[in-house]
Order: sequence, then structure tokens, then C-alpha cells
Amino acid sequence: MTQLNQTILDGVDPEIVDRLVSRRAAIRKGATVSAVTAAGLAMGSVPVMLAALSKESFAQTPSAILDVLQFAFILENLENEFYKAVLGTSAVAEQNAAFATVRAQIPASARPTFQQIQKHEQQHTDFLKNTAIPLFGGTAPSLSANDFDFTGGNGSGNGPFLQATTRLDHLLLVAQAVEDTGVRAYKGQAGRLLINGDSKADVALESALRIHSVEARHASKIRRIRHSLNPSDPSLSTAGYVRGGGVFAAGAGNISNPPADAVAALGLIYAGEDNTVHTVFNGTVAAQIDAATLGGMEIIGDAQARRNAAMMAFDEPLTKEQVIAIVRGFIKDNASRGLP
Amino acid sequence: MPQKREDNAKTLVIARGDELMRPTTRRSFVRLLGAGGAVVMMPGVFGAYATTPVLGAQVDGGLMFDLRSDVGIFRLVHTLEQLEAAFYTAVVGNGNFNTFFSAPERELFTDLRNVEIVHREFLRTALGSQAVPDVTGSINTTTLNTILSSRENILAASRLFEHLGVSGLNGAGKYLQDARNLLLAGKFVSVEARHAAALRDIAPPAGQSAATAFAGDDIVDRNGMDVKLEAGAVLDRVAAANIVVNGAVSSRHISYAPTPTQGVPSADHFPSTP
Repeated sequence: MTQLNQTILDGVDPEIVDRLVSRRAAIRKGATVSAVTAAGLAMGSVPVMLAALSKESFAQTPSAILDVLQFAFILENLENEFYKAVLGTSAVAEQNAAFATVRAQIPASARPTFQQIQKHEQQHTDFLKNTAIPLFGGTAPSLSANDFDFTGGNGSGNGPFLQATTRLDHLLLVAQAVEDTGVRAYKGQAGRLLINGDSKADVALESALRIHSVEARHASKIRRIRHSLNPSDPSLSTAGYVRGGGVFAAGAGNISNPPADAVAALGLIYAGEDNTVHTVFNGTVAAQIDAATLGGMEIIGDAQARRNAAMMAFDEPLTKEQVIAIVRGFIKDNASRGLP
Repeated sequence: MPQKREDNAKTLVIARGDELMRPTTRRSFVRLLGAGGAVVMMPGVFGAYATTPVLGAQVDGGLMFDLRSDVGIFRLVHTLEQLEAAFYTAVVGNGNFNTFFSAPERELFTDLRNVEIVHREFLRTALGSQAVPDVTGSINTTTLNTILSSRENILAASRLFEHLGVSGLNGAGKYLQDARNLLLAGKFVSVEARHAAALRDIAPPAGQSAATAFAGDDIVDRNGMDVKLEAGAVLDRVAAANIVVNGAVSSRHISYAPTPTQGVPSADHFPSTP
């Protein structure tokens, strides 16, 4: 239980070890770590809980499913509270005030779009809190708008995405990045929800998949809004795909002099999206297939055109460690809760 | 994920189709296919297809789908991807393409065509000997020509295709038995969802606002969840659209539904006009 005093990143690496241990050991370890999770929840500390969750076992077990659902709940709250602050409907006045300048720049035509997206994030948090997490015997953590720093500054209010509070292009970029992170996070966790023939796990998995594709719709829409404002950026398209990887895939080319820490953060958010090699298991062997070099694709164009299409044709997952590294700056540490 | 050992290439002799019904034989058969081994089919084996679930029987000359394995589920996905790729290829190649659609819309349809071709070829390679044969011969050319005759018809058919893709993959995930295959399905479905949102943006169905149609209240339910269909419902909607010749695709072409040990069906959610 000494993990309670560790930072999030200190707590992450054992998950790699977890993947290597046997299923039986994983279950045993999962049961132990859940007590840490419970302690984190009891303290109302998001960072402690993130740290605890990050150490949960990788096996597909009911405790692993609860871990995924709690993780999703934190991410959905981050999204929901972000959009509420943007729209000026947050319960915390300071969060509304922070976005007042950029709020005035949102075109009237886009305001219903933001409202629709926020409605979905609220529905996701409600479903996770009231249905999915209780189905596995858990209790959703208590979170409020006060727990988040939407500049990514870890409570400083002066993080890499500060300009999103005053400039529409930055705001749209952050919204897109938040949505794409959500898509990638759900995709990366889906395998942990798979227990064939388990009716509760089926509910968790199918719900997660259906939320996942809604997040992809959001990301697609925001990319299209950005494309209409920056038609020459090659990574933004009418189709709303992610093309390429790293900061290029963010489509930040129109943003002049982006802060170096924002560029670094976008690099993490879109890391590996340019992958074209995917694994398929046919019941006996796992094959790695490169989608960029297949036959039968000549009509698309030359080798580079086919590679571009292959990058767009598959969205890539993020591991939980990667997601935590991305979002931890958006979730405040709090010394009064025993953390830096 | 534990690595399976690779079998040395061997030769498996199968004298009768029903030998493939035996788990041990079937396992050897599939393993050999995957490992590049040789399978010798004695005369009469192919005649036994009708009772051989691994390979599938035929109804009305159509394809059959055995959804008790990940391979069977991806065969169904491969069929849909083939239809989508063929459809968008026809849209982009249509003589009216430039007059029906603006430059950004043409960019969208070209991207759709390209991505569905990648999906089609990826699944053809992944499925190997189990890949679905070319289905373009089953496309109903009368229906296709009617669709291609107007911008509105093309957009409506495109929205239907993309939403069938999203809903079908969302419904199939729980039946997949390998997490790597589930991840692959996840990589497909969010891309199809991006397509679906883009098409609804360009052409919102009647009653939907341009600002919210990308994920309208007809698409996303009150729990914030996207469309979802069981496999039979996907095939029946393809059949109802008359995009394939009568009888080529329908829920009757599911020779074996997923077993309860894979998962059990859930309620569908799909609007009348996606």
C-alpha cells in the first residue's frame, strides 16, 4: 500500500510486468490493487486513483472491467467539464470565466454542435456512474469541475493549452485532441472488457464500443470545422480522418508559434497514428499485415497515396499509460490530499 | 498475449467433409492453413460443403456466414467492405460525379473509396483462404444505376452503408474471441463512424439540423450510445436496400449464429433513415 505516496508515473510501470504474469497471478494481483483503488476513491483523490488504477492487472476479469470503467469515467468527466466550461454552464464560476473570451468567438452555427457534444459526454458520465460501474459492484469517484485544469497545467492554470481560453483555433484544436484521445483510450481498453459469454462484460464492452464510435463522430465533426477554417492543412479533411502520426496528425499547421509544450503534448496524443501494420489472429496464428503495401489498391494512386489511405483507414489505440501521461496535466494535483 | 507455437508444415488428409466437424480435425485443418501446411482434400470433400460449417453452405447461390468464429465474423465484415468499396468506386467513376458534388465533397468520396479499398484488401489478405470471393457480380445494377442518378440517392445510400458498418461492428464486438481481433474491429469502426458523421454533415436527413446531424438524437440514444445492430439485422437491411441481387444476402445466409458462450444478442438501435 506504499503506492499511495508515489506519483502517477512511478506507479505506472508495474502494469508492464502485469502483462507478463500468469492469468492466475494477474487476478490475485488485481484483487490486491483494487484495495488501493478503493483507498484512492475514499480519499476523493483523482491522481491517487489514477495511480492505483494504472497498476491494475491486464487480464480480462471483472475487476479489470471495473478498472476500465472507472478510468473511462474520469476521462468522460474531463471532457464533460471541459465543454461545460467552454459553454459557460460549469457549476464552478472560475471555469466559466476562464473561457469567456473564446466563448464569444464561437460562431453561432457551432454553438449547438458544442452543446450536442457536451450532452453526450454528460450521458456517458451518467451511464458509467449510474449503470455500468454499479453493475460491477463499484462506486464512481466524486469529481467536480474544480478537479480539472483545462490548460493542461496541473493546477497552475497556465499550461500548454492556455491559449484555448482566448483563441478559437486553439480551442478547436484542444477539443479535437480531447475527442481523439477519447477514441484512442476506449480502443486501447476494449480488449480488457472481453469475457465471452459473460452478460455483464457484454454490457460493458458493447456500451464502450458504442460510446467509442460517438467520440469518433465528435472528433470527425471538429476536424471538419477546423478544415473549413484551414482548408490547406493536409492533415485535416472533409472526412474527418486522422492522417499521419505525431504532431502532424493534429493539424496544427495553421497555429502560429504554438507553445513548445503544446507541440510536445500533441505529439503524445497522436503518437503512432501513422501505423499501418495490424495484427489479426485466425484462430491459430497471429499475422502482421501492412495495409500500406497490399495488392489490389492501384486505383488509389502511387505508393505514397496508398500509404496515406492506409493511415486514414485505421484508427490506432493508446495504452492506459499513454493516456494517463496525456491527461495528468489536466487533472489537478492537490497537496492537501497527500500529493505534490 | 501468449504466443502460439508455430506448427511445422505438415500434410493433413481429409477424406470426407464431415471430418471437419470433428474438433481435432478442424483444429489441425485451420492450423495448417495458417501455418502454410498442405491440406489434401480427397474426392467428395467439397461436395460436403452443405454440412460443413467451417466452409459454409449456400442459399439461393449466396454466401454463407458461420459466426461462431472470429474468421466467420470478419467474412461478414469483408462482404460489407467489398460492397462499400465497389459502391464508392462507382460513385467516383460516375459521369455526374463533378456536377453532383463540390470539391470538398469529391475529396470526401474519394477518401471513402480509398479507405474502403484498403479495408477490403486488408481483410482479403487477413482471411486468406477464407476470404469472401468477389461479390461485385451480386450487385443489383438496376438499383445501383438508380442510386447513381442523383446526388440525394448517392448520399442516402452512402449514409446507409456507413451506418451499417458502424452498427454491425458495434454489435459484433462481444462475439469476437480474441482481443487482437477486437482491437482490429475497433480500428475499423471509429473510421466508419468518422465517415458516417461526415456524410450526415454534408447531407443531414430530413428533420436533422446541420449543426447536430453528425451525431443527432436519432443516432445517439439517451445514454449517449451509437447505432448497433446484430449481424442478421445488418444483412436484412442490405437485402432491403436491394443493392444486391435478390436473395444474395440476408439473415438466412447466417448458417450458424454466435453461440451463447460467445455472447448473447442485445437490443438493436438504428434509425429508419440514418
